[in-house]
Parts: sequence; structure tokens; C-alpha cells
Amino acid sequence: MSLRVLNPNAEVLNKSAALHMNINAAKGLQDVLKTNLGPKGTIKMLVGGAGDIKLTKDGNTLLKEMQIQNPTAIMIARTAVAQDDISGDGTTSTVLFIGELMKQSDRYIDEGMHPRVLVDGFEIAKRATLQFLEKFKTPVVMGDEPDKEILKMVARTTLRTKLYEALADQLTDIVVNAVLCIRKPEEAIDLFMVEIMHMRHKFDVDTRLVEGLVLDHGSRHPDMKRRAENCYILTCNVSLEYEKSEINAGFFYSSAEQREAMVAAERRSVDERVRKIIELKNEVCSGNDNNFIVINQKGIDPPSLDLLARAGIIALRRAKRRNMERLVLACGGEAVNSVDDLTPDCLGWAGLVYEHVLGEEKYTFVENVKNPHSCTILIKGPNDHTIAQIKDAVRDGLRAVKNTIEDEAVVMGAGAFEVAARQYLINEVKKTVQGRAQLGVEAFADALLVIPKTLAENSGLDTQDVIISLTGEHDRGNVVGLNQHTGEPIDPQMEGIFDNYSVKRQIINSGPVIASQLLLVDEVIRAGRNMRKPT
Amino acid sequence: MREIVTVQVGGFANFIGSHFWNFQDELLGLAEDPNADEIFKNPLLDVDVLYRSGETHQGILTYTPRLVSVDLQGTLGSMSSRGTLYNVDSQAASEVNTWRGTVSTHASEPHQKNLFLQSLEEEQNPTERKGKKIDSQREYQEKDIVECLENGVKFWTDYSKVHYHPQSLYELSGLWMDVEDFDNYGIGREALSSGHQEDISERLRFFVEECDHIQGFQFIVDDSGGFSAVAAEFLENIADEYTNTPVLLYTTRGPASYMNLGQKKHKVVRGLHDAVSFSRLSSLCKLIVPLGLPSLSRSKASAYLSIKDEKPYHCSAVYAAALHSTSLPFRMQSVGRAADSQDVSGAVSVSDLVEILSGNARKNMVAILDMAMPAPSLSGRDVGQSMLGHLHPVTYEIAEDVEDSQAMETLNIHGVIGQGGHYASVSEVKDYIHAAYEHANAMPKFCHLSVARTPLPIPLPFPRIFSSLVGGQGKLLGEPIAGSLSRGSVDVHSIPIGTRLRSSIAILPHLENRLTHLQRFGIQRGAAGSELLRGWGFGRDELEEMGECLTRMVMELKPQAIMSDDSD
Ligand SMILES: Nc1ncnc2c1ncn2[C@@H]1O[C@H](COP(=O)(O)OP(=O)(O)OP(=O)(O)O)[C@@H](O)[C@H]1O
Ligand SMILES: [Mg+2]
Repeated sequence: MSLRVLNPNAEVLNKSAALHMNINAAKGLQDVLKTNLGPKGTIKMLVGGAGDIKLTKDGNTLLKEMQIQNPTAIMIARTAVAQDDISGDGTTSTVLFIGELMKQSDRYIDEGMHPRVLVDGFEIAKRATLQFLEKFKTPVVMGDEPDKEILKMVARTTLRTKLYEALADQLTDIVVNAVLCIRKPEEAIDLFMVEIMHMRHKFDVDTRLVEGLVLDHGSRHPDMKRRAENCYILTCNVSLEYEKSEINAGFFYSSAEQREAMVAAERRSVDERVRKIIELKNEVCSGNDNNFIVINQKGIDPPSLDLLARAGIIALRRAKRRNMERLVLACGGEAVNSVDDLTPDCLGWAGLVYEHVLGEEKYTFVENVKNPHSCTILIKGPNDHTIAQIKDAVRDGLRAVKNTIEDEAVVMGAGAFEVAARQYLINEVKKTVQGRAQLGVEAFADALLVIPKTLAENSGLDTQDVIISLTGEHDRGNVVGLNQHTGEPIDPQMEGIFDNYSVKRQIINSGPVIASQLLLVDEVIRAGRNMRKPT
Repeated sequence: MREIVTVQVGGFANFIGSHFWNFQDELLGLAEDPNADEIFKNPLLDVDVLYRSGETHQGILTYTPRLVSVDLQGTLGSMSSRGTLYNVDSQAASEVNTWRGTVSTHASEPHQKNLFLQSLEEEQNPTERKGKKIDSQREYQEKDIVECLENGVKFWTDYSKVHYHPQSLYELSGLWMDVEDFDNYGIGREALSSGHQEDISERLRFFVEECDHIQGFQFIVDDSGGFSAVAAEFLENIADEYTNTPVLLYTTRGPASYMNLGQKKHKVVRGLHDAVSFSRLSSLCKLIVPLGLPSLSRSKASAYLSIKDEKPYHCSAVYAAALHSTSLPFRMQSVGRAADSQDVSGAVSVSDLVEILSGNARKNMVAILDMAMPAPSLSGRDVGQSMLGHLHPVTYEIAEDVEDSQAMETLNIHGVIGQGGHYASVSEVKDYIHAAYEHANAMPKFCHLSVARTPLPIPLPFPRIFSSLVGGQGKLLGEPIAGSLSRGSVDVHSIPIGTRLRSSIAILPHLENRLTHLQRFGIQRGAAGSELLRGWGFGRDELEEMGECLTRMVMELKPQAIMSDDSD
């Protein structure tokens, strides 16, 4: 959107100029993103040329909204966005870390050191840091019933970096419960089974978890009920509309009768399909006052809707493909592709189905389901950019919970890991390294401190003081993070500040890779040419 | 009612679309305007086919195109991607409800609204307009508006007078790329994330779900660069999700896309792009109509036009007029050929059209579009200049002057002026066309004629592209009007227009070029572009399959094949 980073017209530059351009671009991007970091960071409101508003505190979203033209900055941005694709968090940290690696390198290069030597040091430091992470992480045992408290702490930590506390805390329970709802033992967690739905609502900022499904459309017949209890749910992907089949195409039929006969034949086969559904309805609903809902991925035309309505059936057409899967997970039954062998076993169940109308928007709630494995997070907000921002936060929260379950570990946050790893590198690793590559290890170690430093800076604290007090406390043998209010050391464990293990790991992995590429540059690539996402 | 959902993907496609919807908007306005010519009050051309009715949260009723438009972020100029109708009050908008900490605001330089857009806004808030309505002054203003558009159109939104639905305008963000760099299939394929794809499909679903009985998709793509790939992914989703709904695909390109193609390397990239793009897109639709001449201004289609090739604003207006014309039969109320009136006749649905052009003995799904803009009158000075002689192709890379007795055609004529200077009735046009075909030296195998009396209205923001041989009602004049080189909406208020879609062997060069390029640059051993294609994500098998498919398309049209089944 409005933010640009440096020199837009990168020509092919010579080596040293290219190197400096890279360093500057990395710093430039770091400067734009650093105010984002942590629960005391700044939220950005981006106003486009036509007055469109975007609201974000997320590195990933911010990067995507920026018009970045500098090729180096684009490379870094791609790494950061890939970070988000892979692990769902840590984009800001990635950009900061890369920027700081470049900044630290700059010092040494100015003193005449060859980038190659630094890069060798990075490689050593990276491996050592990853090993250290294994020791430092906090294992979490995930039995049949995962430890909800730890899941909540991780979710809360992430959410509080995106939303104000009360809102974050409300969402914490929601995202944890959502993931636990869809989780099946022994299976990978598929977050798509959590539907995220939104409603624009003038005065309301509210989010709730619906156990069941919310669809963004309603029935299309005036006589269908808007609310029904005790509902059988038929989830299907069957065309219930008249359409010209390929074989029956009829333009060249000369007589009107022939055309009409064809239309009638086609109509009959549609009606036949509708009738089979009605038969099933009559079978299961006779003698009770249960209701029958058809949710179809294909179309349903007005004559079919008429027939269904007359049979007392509520029908929705053109449901999202993914909702076929979700409905079955939420309500039971199975998604059918044909009406030929319909049996009551195909049907799911929901205690309550009702429609909610807002202007031209309609929502259908499918609730009170038994033992659901799919659910919906419903976000209400006064405008699109607020909704979008909450949605981003919810996604982050869901990812954090999923990661924790799959990692079976978390990492203490608030800068604790970075401080500890830095001290480890300086005190233990550096001395084992031969020659000047030591300086690369040192640069890497100091670059890690960008996280606690930036957290301090965003809290209005003096970064020097904070680092001295944190490293001092660390060297006394304690695990220490930063208290954002006071600048004092705290124990993140006590405060419940935890980050994802896989996120940290990914940052440590990808940061030095890109930094090394940028340092060893021969010439600068032109913008937009290298589209590959770095791995 | 049989709805059509329109899709526009990419820069030039949206330029065309903008004009297209301006025509519709103009027709809507004229139908309601008590002072407008009766000819525009034609209830037999159903606008609901293209438009949807809606309602805002405030209960205000809306009427907006059934449209999904996709373009790069930053190409909407001063128009909000949410359109103008559904916006909540902007005061509340700038409040941050989710964060108690620091807020920093980063505002882009606001896009200035040009004179035209300003005048539109004024019309909407009539309070500000008091006293301005003296006619001479108004005309003066109109001239200024036209002038400002002639010189200053940068975005398609600069000349749009249409209200769009908030779901309609989708911007691809996070590409970090200039439009100029988004120039080939591979780049488009890589840039499109699954998130984008899903968002776009959801937009489409919104419009389709509302349709009681969708007859087809009208899909316009700028296939000169990365948007080919974007469209292909999109079409793949449509084929999956709406399998039996036909897609009528217009592949379009502005003259700008033909520039700087000199170098050898470019030749390989362009050749492969065109081949791959065509193969992919044609495999995902029912009928494909390539549109866009390298130089529209120098083409025969511009005999009565005064086009500046370097202005997409100009060229797109011509193609939009053609699209409007070809879409009219889909909107004609009377179904079946028996129930024709004197105002419209020859209704076809999208699938009828597909069947006429490609579903017959010869399976050719690539149609040529010819047009006459403006179309000649049926009388007076134009006697002898037959309608057919005025139709000239706007499809590129085709053979001229080939005779094809197996050709299948649809001809759309509307708003032509008949004997005595009135709009010709349906039967007049029919008789005329039948006579014309009888005298023509070559006849197609089949021609379907659609006629409407309503001419194409020329909205104010239409470019000044008529030559001085075009009169106020679009009549072709024998003598140029003195004192003006080009004429626009101030002078010309409507025009008659004729278009023809034709399935003919004349398309062979188009197919053969693509086949040759694919083979020479992509498939042959040691081909210059095999590495490139791998980079674009195409495996050997896929390429060979494309080659076979193109070969089949060519074989279908080869004259030998035709001679051997000369039964008709
Ligand atoms: N209460 C807290 N006190 C101190 N530090 C915290 C606290 N909560 C989170 N942090 C730290 O904030 C950092 C995460 O900040 P943030 O989520 O803004 O950025 P990110 O995860 O790097 O990027 P993004 O979320 O934008 O993709 C982590 O280092 C985390 O340990
Ligand atoms: Mg984060």
C-alpha cells in the first residue's frame, strides 16, 4: 500500500555496491516492521488511494499489503511469508532477524572482513542454536486429553500480540476449543475443518464458537421454514436443476415439439431425483415432527424448490465444497453424490437449524449437533477491516494450538530463548570455533538479541539497560524474559508466555540462509525475476 | 430467467468490461428516462440476465452487475474495491476496536477523482448541483469531461459510471510486482496462491448461488501475460464446480501487448506463452473467441473509427461494443424461434451458441469475431454496401478471404436504420440479410440471425473514436463532417452495430502458429524453451498432450478433411 522500501530501480550493481544495497534493503524492511513486534507493538492502519482501510498488526498481512519494489526486500518478504505459510507465525521476527544479521555483518565487513567468513560462522552458530533449542524447549505431553492449560497459554500469548487483552482472552478459549473439537486421535489436525465465518454488525465486536456449522446462504423458497428443530441433514452433491445434458443438446431440432419433448424428458429426470429425496424424508419423518434439511453443493432450481417446499423440506443450494466435508463431520451421515441408494444412514442430525438475515446476506446456523468434529468461529465486527484483522488473529491462534499439539513442545517467550541462546553461543560455542569464523558466531549471537531489544523498544524501555539486566540475570542461572511493563526480568513460565517450538525453529533455520545469500551476492537480481519461494 | 455471470480477469479485460457495463448502465438509464427515445424502452431485452437485485444493511435496494473482476492490487485507481453502495459511515471506520496500544496510520496519496468522476458524484448529491443545469453550460462541461478522459485515463475506473457490488472487485495482493513484469504464463502461475484462488472462487459462488437457472459464464481474460494462468486456475475451478454450465471465453489483448517483441528471446517466451495459454484456456471452456488486433487503428474494422492504438481506453471500447452485441441474444426474452416480435428476434442461450458454432459436424471451438461499427443502414446512400461487406474481423492471426462452405455463423444486428431513416424492424433486417446472403458469392453452411431494434447507446465517458463520417445516430455519411477529426459521445448518441461469430477454417493460422511454437520452442529435442517451460511448471507429458490437442484442433479444420465429407 503506502510503504516503499528504498531504491525501486535496481540495476545490476557491482559486488560491493550490491552488498551495501542488500544490507540497506534488509534494514529498511526491518525498520518498517519492527514497531509491530509483541504485545506492546503498534497496529498499523493503511489507507489506500481510494480510501480503503486495512488494519494489521501482523507481519505477514503488512508485507502483503506493501508495494515492495526492491528485489532484496522482496526476497526477505518472501522468506517471511513462507515462514507464515509453513508455521503460521513469526513473520515479523523473521524479518527482524534477517535485518539484524545483515546489520551485524555490516560492522565486520566495514572492518574489511570477507562475507564468506561470516557466513561460515553463521552456519556453525545456526547448528549450535538449533541444538540448544532442543534442550531449551519445554516438552508437553499430549495424551488422549491434551493439557488444555498449556494450549491456552500459547494461544493467549499469540492472540495478545494481535488483539487487546480482553478480546484476546475471549478468543483464547474459542480457538483452543475449536481445535480440540476437530482433533481426532492419531490424525493430523486439519484446520480447514474449523470454518471461520463473519457478519458485519454495526455496533458489535463479538466472536463466538458455534459447535456445528454456519453457512453464508439460506434457502431460496418463500415457503420454507426459517427455523426448525430436530433436523435430519442430507448432505449431497446432486444436480437438482434442469440443465441441458450434452447428448440432449437441441438447437438443431427443427420442430418445437421435439424441443419441448426433450425439455420435458430432462425435467422428468430432475423431478425424479427430487422425488427420491422426498421419499426418504417421508420415510424418516413420518409419525414424528422431525424436520428434514437438504444441503446441496449443486444447484436447485425453482421447480425443484417448489416440490421440496411442498414436502416440508428446507433446501440450500450451492454449498461450499468444503462444507460437504464439514457438515458430515459436524452432523454425521455421509455426503452423497447420487440419490440412487439413499438410506436413512446417509443422514446427519442437528438439533436446531435456523436462518439469520442481514440486508441481502443470509446465514444458516446448523447447531446442537452430536459429537461434532467440525465447528465454526463466528466473528462479528463493525466493518470489513476490523473483521479481517480479527480473522487473521483467529488464524494465528488456531495455528498456535495446532503447532503445540503437533510439536509436543513449546518455547518460553518474551525474549527468554533469544537471551539464553545468545549467552550460550558467546560463552560456550564461540571458543570452540577456529579463527575468524568466531566473529560470524558472535554476529549471529548478537543478532538474536534483536527480539528482546525490539520488545523493549516497543515498550518504551531503554534497550541497553534491558539487555544488561536480562543477560546479568541469565548468567546468574535463571531463565529470563522481559517484563514489558517494567523492563525487569521475569520468568516466562510463571507468566505463561510461550511461543511455538516449530515457529522458533523455522526462524532460526531460514534467517541465516537468506542472510548468507544476500551477503554472498555477486550481483543483484532484478525485481520480480526470482519468484521461487525460498525453502 | 436465465442468468449470466460475467468474469473479467486482467488489465485489458477490465478495460473492456468497464465499457461493457457502461453500456448496460446507459441502457438502464435510458429505459427510465421519460425524455429518451422509445427505442430504448425495450422490455424484451432482459437486464436481469446480467444484473442482480440486492439490498444494503440500511435497506436500500441495489442493482449491480453479476460480476467477478480480478486485477492486480493498485489498478482500481480512485474506486474502492468495495464499491460505493454498501459502505458504512466512514467515521466509525477509522476507529480501532481491536487494539488499545499505539496506532499508526499510513495513508497513500489519495487518487484524485477526475472531472468525470467528480461530476458523477455531484449527480449523486444533487444538493451541490443547484443552478448548474443551464444547458449550454452543461454541454460545455460535457466537452471538458470528454476532453479530460481523452487525455487522462489511467485506470479502467477512471471512466466507469457503474456501481459495483462489494463482492465484485478482487485485487491480487502480495505479488510485489509491476504490471509490466506480470507478463507470462509462468509468472502468473507462481504468483497465484491457493488463498487467492479460494477467495476468488468464493466471490463467484456468491453470484452463482443467487441464480435460479444460470445459463452460462461470460469470461473475459487478458491473455497477454500472467493473467492467463490466473484465469486457467479459475476456469479449472469452474469446470469442477459448475460442470454443466457453459463458459464462453473471450481472450483479449490490447495493442500495447504487441509492442517491444523484437528480440529473439522474447520471441521464444511470447511464442510459448501464447501456445501454453491457448492450450490451457481452450481446454477449460466451451467456446473461445480471441479478440484484439495488433493495430486496431489500421485494421479494416476501424474504417469509420479513429483509434489511437496506444490507448487501451480507445481499443477496449470497440471490443466492448462487440461483446455487448454478441451478448444481446442471451438476453432476448422470447425463447424459441416461433415467438419473435418486431423488436427482437433470434434469442439463443449460451449453450445454444456453443452448439451452433462448435457442436455440429465439425468440432471447432475457436470462433472468429467480425464486426461492423457502426453498421450501415439498409437504405439510401448505403445501397450496394452490403452489411456483410462491412463486417471485419477483430480476431488476430487468421486467414483472410478464405471461403468455407462448412462455416457456422451467428449474426447479430441491432439498431440499424432502415428505409426512411427509422430503426429497421426485425422483418426488414431479416429480409435484407437473406437477400444479402443470396447475393453473396460464398455462403456459410448455417447462419443464425439475431436482431434487435435497440441501437448501442454511447455513454458520456465513451472515447472520442468515431471518424467524421459518422452521424449523430451512427449513420455512415458520404461526406465527412467539417471541422472535426474525431467524434465522441457529445456528437454521437447511439450507433447501429453488427457482429458475427464464425466458426471457420480461417482460424487455422491461429491454431497452427500455436502448435508450431509449442513444438519448435517447447517439445522438440533441444528446444530453446524447454527449460523455461519446466520453470513454468509444465512437465513433458503435459506438453505433449497439449501438442496432441492442438493437432486435433487443426486436423478438424484441414480442407482435406472437409472435402471428404462433402455431403451437404
Ligand atoms: N506478554 C509478553 N511479554 C513479552 N514478550 C511477549 C509477550 N507475548 C509475546 N511476546 C513475544 O512477542 C514475540 C512475538 O511477537 P509478534 O507475534 O508480534 O511477532 P511475530 O510472531 O514474530 O510475527 P507475526 O505474528 O507478525 O507473524 C515473541 O518473541 C514473543 O515471545
Ligand atoms: Mg506472532
